[in-house]
Amino acid sequence: MKKKSKKSKIKLKIDFVSSVTLDSKTGKKRINFILNKVKDGSILVVNGVLTPDEEMGLIRETMQRVDDGFPGIEVCSLKKQLKGWGQLSEALSDGRKRFWSGITGNPPNPKLKTGITLIGPAKIIKNIRKNPDSFSVLAEM
Amino acid sequence: MVFGRLVNWIRNFFRLRQDISLGIYGCTNVGKTTLANRICMDWVGEEMGKVSRIPHETRMVQKKEKLLIESNGKKININILDMPGIATKVDYRKFLKYGIKKKAAKARAREATKGVVEAIKWLNNVDTVLAVMDATKDPLTQVNITLLGNLEAKGIPVILVANKIDLKRSKPQNIKEAFPQYPLVEISALKGKSINNLYEAIIEHSRKAQ
Repeated sequence: MKKKSKKSKIKLKIDFVSSVTLDSKTGKKRINFILNKVKDGSILVVNGVLTPDEEMGLIRETMQRVDDGFPGIEVCSLKKQLKGWGQLSEALSDGRKRFWSGITGNPPNPKLKTGITLIGPAKIIKNIRKNPDSFSVLAEM
Repeated sequence: MVFGRLVNWIRNFFRLRQDISLGIYGCTNVGKTTLANRICMDWVGEEMGKVSRIPHETRMVQKKEKLLIESNGKKININILDMPGIATKVDYRKFLKYGIKKKAAKARAREATKGVVEAIKWLNNVDTVLAVMDATKDPLTQVNITLLGNLEAKGIPVILVANKIDLKRSKPQNIKEAFPQYPLVEISALKGKSINNLYEAIIEHSRKAQ
């Protein structure tokens, strides 16, 4: 009688998230949404880019959640470079939000910028090689 | 509360403080503390912190106050802030490879994560930043991109420091190509090579030079 051989399957979960999903979440909820998924082992691909403030907030929050089983994250984003009126319009909009945020003390809730972001657990993602217009990811299970 | 924020905002906007707080930022092991030590040795004759090849040696913000820097007849008073390296991951297992015991490695990792959080908080309190990068490595890391984007959004002047140019494999031109919009100084903090160019840049790009 032949023994049935059990092949262990390596599973990798990739969640593609629309920018609309993240735009609907404010401040810390947005960061929590990302980190909860990543801490569960998912690689997140978002069709948008966080603001530099939010990216720094993401790093800060990640550090507060690091433990023996979760060493942190790997993140990489490609932002569409705006030119001319688009760039000016974005700069004015950001400046206005920062000004009111500074006056009122309320954190701004900016929309995601045009681009793509990949965020995943550092335990799985071993290396990200970035070029100005592309990036490649090496994952290891 | 709102009034306090408004006063702080106006004060920061016009840079009314007496001294310049110069933050030394960057990824781990790029030579931030070596640079801080070099600056302190040059101007006050004593070192600032311990340097190590093990990542996250600096896990708390180190300060040295009231350094008078001079270059080309201009002077500036600075407070040096040597920051813990910014990272998106801290794995205690990495420290084991350097011969650190498991318990100590876990403690080091805990301190390192707190250090990163502290360094990020300090971004709101620095006037000028030296963004240090290892010229032997790829500068296009997300930490560098996030850090520079954050400083730009806050309107904080940045000087890129391409460190370790004494090493043969260093390619400071990669940093220049990756971030052409920022002033760049190529140095070796360890050997002191071209360090005067850095002092010149600090005075030129900080707003309180006299």
